[in-house]
Amino acid sequence: MRRILWAVLIAAGTIAQLPAQLRITGLDGLASKAKESVDITLDPAMLQMAGAFLAGGGKDGSDVKSLIAGLKAITVKSYKFTETSQYRMEDLEPIRAQLRTPGWSKVLSSQSKGEISEIYMRIDQGKVAGFAIIAAEPKELTVVAIEGAINLQDLSKLGGLGVPAIPVPGQSKDQPKDSGKKGKQQ
Amino acid sequence: MLTQSIAAIPKVITDDPERFEELVREHQAMVFSMACRYLRNRALAEEIAQDVFLQLYRKLPSLESQDHVVHWLRWVTAHRLIDHSRHEKRRPQSPLEEAPEPAVPANSGDPLLSDMLRDLVAALPENARVVMILRYQEDLDPMDIAQALDMPIATVKSHLQRSLALLRDKLSRQKGVGL
Amino acid sequence: MNLEDELRAALRREDPSSGFAQRVVARTKVTPRSNRPIFRMAWAAAIAAMVIVGLAGVYQYRQVQAERAGRDAVIALRIAADKLNIARDKVSRREN
Repeated sequence: MRRILWAVLIAAGTIAQLPAQLRITGLDGLASKAKESVDITLDPAMLQMAGAFLAGGGKDGSDVKSLIAGLKAITVKSYKFTETSQYRMEDLEPIRAQLRTPGWSKVLSSQSKGEISEIYMRIDQGKVAGFAIIAAEPKELTVVAIEGAINLQDLSKLGGLGVPAIPVPGQSKDQPKDSGKKGKQQ
Repeated sequence: MLTQSIAAIPKVITDDPERFEELVREHQAMVFSMACRYLRNRALAEEIAQDVFLQLYRKLPSLESQDHVVHWLRWVTAHRLIDHSRHEKRRPQSPLEEAPEPAVPANSGDPLLSDMLRDLVAALPENARVVMILRYQEDLDPMDIAQALDMPIATVKSHLQRSLALLRDKLSRQKGVGL
Repeated sequence: MNLEDELRAALRREDPSSGFAQRVVARTKVTPRSNRPIFRMAWAAAIAAMVIVGLAGVYQYRQVQAERAGRDAVIALRIAADKLNIARDKVSRREN
């Protein structure tokens, strides 16, 4: 209960006092247990530098550059373990507590034994303003927080596959929709 | 704000004395009280608390969030206090079992009982003392204490049960005190 | 009367003496000083040299930073894309 309270307090009152921004916390110590880990944080200044660097980097570089053009920040924490049980689902509670606050909506969820895949969107004045992914498997944990507007179809192409349109919560039927199958919305 | 990098936030604080002072004021009661309850010596507790915050000043750029700052402060303060008592030579620690019963009769609600309890807690063995302080000052549950001290949860629970039993025993021998 | 409640009351947090935070901040500012002119000149020369060397290295450093940021952006978005697609596939399999 106390951890949930802390997570809500963190979400509600960070130093910069922007409660809707997702902070990936509570995963300290996993890097030391992981055989591989990725810990990337890119703020606006870093994204700007990245964009300038990628401008001359061929098709891949220009694809990424156009994706990050509308972004304010990206945070990725990803851990791969040699054994199971190196983290607990409870470790994700500080993050998920933030994603239960107003502004965030869970748009896609899949759960099976020991595995969770969840995608969240943050909507601000009817527009996508943020995006979060939690992918938890027995030997791998990944949390992604993206702040800003991003085209999910274009993002998915970086992974080599197309993506069906994921409806924006609250979007009316009269507004233009992306083509493709609809993802399951929670 | 997610638009600032995690590393940038602490740098702003350490570059701005006012903001660092604000951070110290926010957490000084926690750190000082842990030291004071552990040592039963306000001057020494302030000295150790200052050292902890100076260490925080150097460490801040690598801390990720307010939550991380709190966890780090508890961790560092707890371990500093334990190390201090292990190196302490001037005042040998006697185990609580050997401590005399409180000399002054106390009733529930009497401020002297609080004073007595603080003395008794300060006479506990090092690890048990820190566990009790984190439980009853910081209101952490055993799982959080285990993580804060990197101690098995079974050990935390054992410290709590044994310490409470010792305290009850000491107090109940004082006539009229039933807890 | 409950021992645990009494312990909470007895161990309640209290503040250190007035001015504690200011004293901590003051200690963060303590630096060695020398009043001898030759030391002041030596310090000034050393600082000037460091600034010149630093400026010379800033451009290269920023290039390295930009490259690292670009690489990190690619890695981050590819991880995000992979996890997005995996989630989509799991849901699709469940629906079929």
